[in-house]
Amino acid sequence: MMNATLAPERPATTAPVDVLTIKDLKAYYINEHFGVRREVRAVDGIDLTVRRNEVYGIAGESSSGKTSLIKTLAGAIRPPMRVVEGSVKFDFGGKHIDVYGEPAKMQAARWQHLSYIMQGSMSVLNPVRRIKHAFNNFAYRHMGLDATAFRRRVESHLDRLGLDASVLEAFPHQLSGGMRQRVTIALATVCEPEFIIADEPTTALDVLVQQDVLGLIKEVQGRLGSSVVFVTHDMSVHAAITDRLAIMYAGRLAEEGPTQALFDRPQHPYTAHLIASLPRIGDVSTRKSLAGKPPSLANPPSGCRFHPRCPIAIERCSKEVPQMLPSATGGRVACFRAGEVSMQ
Amino acid sequence: MFKVLFDLLRYNREFLLGTLLILIILALIACSFFAPYGENDIYVVIPDMPPSAEHWLGTNSRGQEIFWQLSISMRNTLMFGVVVAAISRVIAIVVGLVSGYIGGRTDQIIMAVNDTLGALPNIPILLLLVFVLRDQMTWPVLALTAALLGWTHDSRLIRSVALSLRTREFTRHAAFSGMRTGQILFREHLPYVMPIVFFTTMNNLIWAIGLEVTLSILGFSDINRPTIGGMIYWANAHSAMVAGIWWWIAVPMIFVVILFLGLFLLAMSVNEYIDPRSRLARMGA
Repeated sequence: MMNATLAPERPATTAPVDVLTIKDLKAYYINEHFGVRREVRAVDGIDLTVRRNEVYGIAGESSSGKTSLIKTLAGAIRPPMRVVEGSVKFDFGGKHIDVYGEPAKMQAARWQHLSYIMQGSMSVLNPVRRIKHAFNNFAYRHMGLDATAFRRRVESHLDRLGLDASVLEAFPHQLSGGMRQRVTIALATVCEPEFIIADEPTTALDVLVQQDVLGLIKEVQGRLGSSVVFVTHDMSVHAAITDRLAIMYAGRLAEEGPTQALFDRPQHPYTAHLIASLPRIGDVSTRKSLAGKPPSLANPPSGCRFHPRCPIAIERCSKEVPQMLPSATGGRVACFRAGEVSMQ
Repeated sequence: MFKVLFDLLRYNREFLLGTLLILIILALIACSFFAPYGENDIYVVIPDMPPSAEHWLGTNSRGQEIFWQLSISMRNTLMFGVVVAAISRVIAIVVGLVSGYIGGRTDQIIMAVNDTLGALPNIPILLLLVFVLRDQMTWPVLALTAALLGWTHDSRLIRSVALSLRTREFTRHAAFSGMRTGQILFREHLPYVMPIVFFTTMNNLIWAIGLEVTLSILGFSDINRPTIGGMIYWANAHSAMVAGIWWWIAVPMIFVVILFLGLFLLAMSVNEYIDPRSRLARMGA
């Protein structure tokens, strides 16, 4: 009875289909004050594709351009940020959308095909309104259902996410942090979107709740056959949830590949250092940290942006920009000395 | 809502006192509907009688009973305040929310207008308008004029909150999901600023009533419409203090003080309820 109102589950396709294709994307924060033009190159020439039914991770330090990248691909940028070059294209089951070519189409696709689990569950929900209003305001118009059918759909969706229908009548402050995060996930997935962006959804949560939330995202993703872009700086979370992983450094991709292979045999020296910084059970040696700080995106170093901090940099690294080329482990890497770093 | 009110009445002495004072005023206003004489009838009772069992608050030199004059005056004065407060609230909310949310050049222009209006001295402008309009200056026109002058501080206050709401995640979320600007302002931001609106309304009411009393005492309003200021105007016109008819002046003064005090105590205690820090101080933390 309940299931009759639900859309049929999407059949899992065998052939990998690219849901998202980003080509040579450049998005800068451009400020002009008193005639002085300042560019912060937060996203600087990124190529990547996200396939159907996968969890794609994006990792990197703070100010490496992770959040700028996902804002750009969601079409959610505001001045002073601007897309300077490149394209972002979605393919929602045959429905093609060029984010920066057809903004109106993008607007209509939001929430229905593309949704967003935002950072900080505390502030995603309006503190002075009941949870049901968030569902009504955000999702109702995208579903094409009447009020009672919509309410039933929301309740059954909440039920599958392990939430009681009574949370709809609650205010955000009456729920625990974990419940709130579940509500935000429910809110983002109630329209059964093909593409979900998760921007550090576990950052403010403790480890147990984090585990729970990760399991939930993975489960919803598996059931809907959606693609998830998962952004966090926490490498252990990436190891737990993502299928493929991209490492960002100073607005560019450093390396991309299947998560397992990336952890086993990192090709880029930066990736190798990120992984080496993770604590391991039983290992009592001191964790090594990388000297220096992430470069300023307003005035990035020449050539490979990592070369000032790279232990194996050669002269060529400061002159030429390395391109993303296929790596030995089935991914792509942007390094002239790919695979040459050894951590142990 | 009722639980909050009940708690406030129980634990907040200012709120209790404020409520009692306002109830006195409301009871007085309710009496005006049962007045035995018309509001402008004169020489219906013996003039210049001091307060007694027969004439509770005495009678004035125009042969009116002060109690009934007071009740109708209080009704008119409060009505004026409520109208001013209501109109200026609408302007303040719209201006504050729009200006704060949209920001940028729009915000700069709106705030320039806002600050210019806020800097203008109110009384001279109203006096000028009274002189220009003369008989056309009925009380609704006066209320509208006062309302147009009385929203600037509160719109700035609302704007400051809207500025912070604009960068909150839930606003970004709402915009991302495709809600239009109007919907975001009305459904997401308005409920958030309601407590501020509630408490500034009381202050605005006090300001509006003060303005009306000031203008009426000076005779710059319709003198045939009984108001608190109008009562004092008539008393002065008949040299009530010289003639020893002190109750004619004292009664409206006492009651307008009761009204002000009641509204002030309510505004203060509501403010205290909204601000969690002062609530903590009350608990001795």
